[in-house]
Amino acid sequence: MKIPIERDNDFMTNFEDSLAEPSHLVDWQLFQQSYQMAETMKIPSFTELRAPFFLPHMSFLPHQLQCAETVVQTMNGRALLADEVGLGKTIEAGLILKEYMLRGLAQKILILVPASLVNQWAIELNQKFLIPAYPSGKRVDWKHTNIIITTLDTAKSARHRQAILEQNYDLVIVDEAHKLKNHKTKNFQFVQELAKKYCLLLTATPVQNKLSDIFNLVSLLKPGYLGTLEDFTKQYKHQQLEDDPYLKQLISKVMVRNRRADTGVHWTERQIETIWVSLKEEEQHVYENLQRFFKSRKSVSAMTYIREFCSSREACYLSLKKWLSERPDLMETTDLLTLIEQLPHHSKALKLVDLIKSIDSKVIVFTEYRATQIYLQWLLQQENIPAVIYRGGFKKGKKDWMRQLFQQHAQVMIATEAAGEGINLQFCHHLINYDLPWNPMRLEQRIGRIHRFGQENDVKIYNFALKETVEEHIMNLLYEKIQLFEYVIGDLEKILSDLKVDSFEKEMEKIFNESQSIGESKIKLDNLTAVIQSYQQVDLDEEQSV
Amino acid sequence: MIDNLQEFLYQFFSSKQCQVTKVNQTELSIQLTRELDQALMNRPFYWHYMDKIGRTGEPMSLHLDTGTQPENKEKEWIHYGSPRLQQIFQYLGQTAKFTVLYETTTSEQRKALLPWLLVNVRVQYYGKQTKEQLHSIGLQLINGQLVTQMMDRLATVTWGRRIEDYCYTISPLIKPKSGFQRVFQYVENQLLDQDNQWIQEANTSLEEELQLLRYFFAEREEQLAKEEQQLRERLSPRIQLTVHNAGLFYLTDSTSSNF
Repeated sequence: MKIPIERDNDFMTNFEDSLAEPSHLVDWQLFQQSYQMAETMKIPSFTELRAPFFLPHMSFLPHQLQCAETVVQTMNGRALLADEVGLGKTIEAGLILKEYMLRGLAQKILILVPASLVNQWAIELNQKFLIPAYPSGKRVDWKHTNIIITTLDTAKSARHRQAILEQNYDLVIVDEAHKLKNHKTKNFQFVQELAKKYCLLLTATPVQNKLSDIFNLVSLLKPGYLGTLEDFTKQYKHQQLEDDPYLKQLISKVMVRNRRADTGVHWTERQIETIWVSLKEEEQHVYENLQRFFKSRKSVSAMTYIREFCSSREACYLSLKKWLSERPDLMETTDLLTLIEQLPHHSKALKLVDLIKSIDSKVIVFTEYRATQIYLQWLLQQENIPAVIYRGGFKKGKKDWMRQLFQQHAQVMIATEAAGEGINLQFCHHLINYDLPWNPMRLEQRIGRIHRFGQENDVKIYNFALKETVEEHIMNLLYEKIQLFEYVIGDLEKILSDLKVDSFEKEMEKIFNESQSIGESKIKLDNLTAVIQSYQQVDLDEEQSV
Repeated sequence: MIDNLQEFLYQFFSSKQCQVTKVNQTELSIQLTRELDQALMNRPFYWHYMDKIGRTGEPMSLHLDTGTQPENKEKEWIHYGSPRLQQIFQYLGQTAKFTVLYETTTSEQRKALLPWLLVNVRVQYYGKQTKEQLHSIGLQLINGQLVTQMMDRLATVTWGRRIEDYCYTISPLIKPKSGFQRVFQYVENQLLDQDNQWIQEANTSLEEELQLLRYFFAEREEQLAKEEQQLRERLSPRIQLTVHNAGLFYLTDSTSSNF
């Protein structure tokens, strides 16, 4: 097959002139060094990366190498990395970054990550990849610093925006890129405006059949192809977005998505145990009062107070009090408040103390409520169990400090939902879901903090549930029957999007709020569960027939 | 191949007349010369200003650490792919392109030196993916003998930048310019990859991308043409032969005959 071969004619033309010019000539040593350098840096094969050779202290997983190869060699450095949580997207991005740097194709690099991850990225890039990357400090020099890690908020702020947009980046990396889903946001527009040659978008949110979710991300990577989602739908209205074969193909040209099951790596097991707790008589009494009170009022937030009560007196008391202060006419709530005030320690909290005492190892406890978080820390303190708390709202420095305290001193970390993103705690393998999130994504993110690459032990997950409360229904019907803990979240997301249920949590709240009786909500939940189960069965059958 | 980066940098800065000290196993302390300061420190205004007011100016010093753990900010941490090393490599690549060298002999007999053209050729394959080969080829400019792995052969010889008093050179019969053509010809005929699968893959991939492009840019002709051209530039399979560096080497007959 004939293909064009270009010869270096310039060199030939300059050669004789240069020989006549002694200042252009070098001695043997430099001449040889230049050749050695070329040999060291050459890219000897179509498929192998150079970076692992220069990072002998790292052992990469096959899917990570494969991902980096595909992005560098066939996607031209513009890709959406959408692996499932815990498969090492940061590693993949680091590998790609290193490869481009080695090939001399990237020098000026901007890395945009959530505030809680800035330091972690810096540590990983420096220690694992030997890349001199710096977190943006107070006085940051966008022009002269080559590799900067910062947050989207900092970058797009009035103070820095202009300076950053004036730079020409070889590579821009955006972690947690699902924040760019909507093209009308400032975040999206800012990333779109950045001058960039290569671009990596990292997201852990399962992207399955919902093209609209990643449509805008793809349009960032393939500028000019898609325009906005509205334009696109208008222009191609003859067909469903999901059915457009060209769009599907375009996506396959920019997206890498590894699933745990495809990686061929032995992952440690998840052992799941449900811890049933019964409310004490007086607690049960208040619980029923609460339910009756809201049943008659049809308040939208009723379920919130009931769930809070299942978590701690404190959580429920505080928000109920706030609600009451806006409605001075409701005397009945004051009675409720008094009832709550008089309750003894929460049954679940006491059980938690017992359980932690029996575990001779680090434990991370997740709760949905800040009041519960503080209460639990105080309670553990009384038992001489050192515990640190962790929240999404903490400043970066404080987060790092808390993580370190947990690793080195405290047995327990109590985290609220917002802590779910980013922080890595592979050194811990006991996780307690003190209260269960109704959103399966959040559950997976929680578990992903400890059940990720680098975890050497089987992971133990304890789920607390109160008998004869809403928690029992949720636990029985959803978590146990759907086997949410064993299933990897991607499967469930796929099913839900097939069912056109966009938010699991909302769907459930709807069921509870719309139902007249416990029996009715039970039936509805049963129905939902049955549908999901039948889908799982179909999936399973398909897999076996393949 | 570079097997010890610290040693490599030590040699580099020494041959560029910088004062270099090995602080320990991984660190180097370097007093730059003006030439290297200008090449590496990125401060053209300083030197412009010094020249204007007629002062010599003071080159800066560098403290490099080739270790794998960045320890403090005083030292500059340098590793493959880091911007500083990339800059040094680039400088080295640009400046060490040409040479003329003469074999140094121990005997005091009058000796003729034969001219050899050395060409270090980089072969770059561009398609869906890319890769490189590096060939070091020597061409004797009298009889047209052609050998590969020339750098390894030359490394066994002691070299001087001036011809020794009792030696004389024989003028090439083959002009360097046609020498280059012979070398390129040889690479194209003998050394290129025989497996052509990559060409097919590149063409398939290009076709796919073009189809996508035509679908999405259907109503924007001008942009379509521009994008198509960019795609072709990126994905059309082609091979490029570039010379990394080259030189004339004068060798004694006895050394030559071993090649």
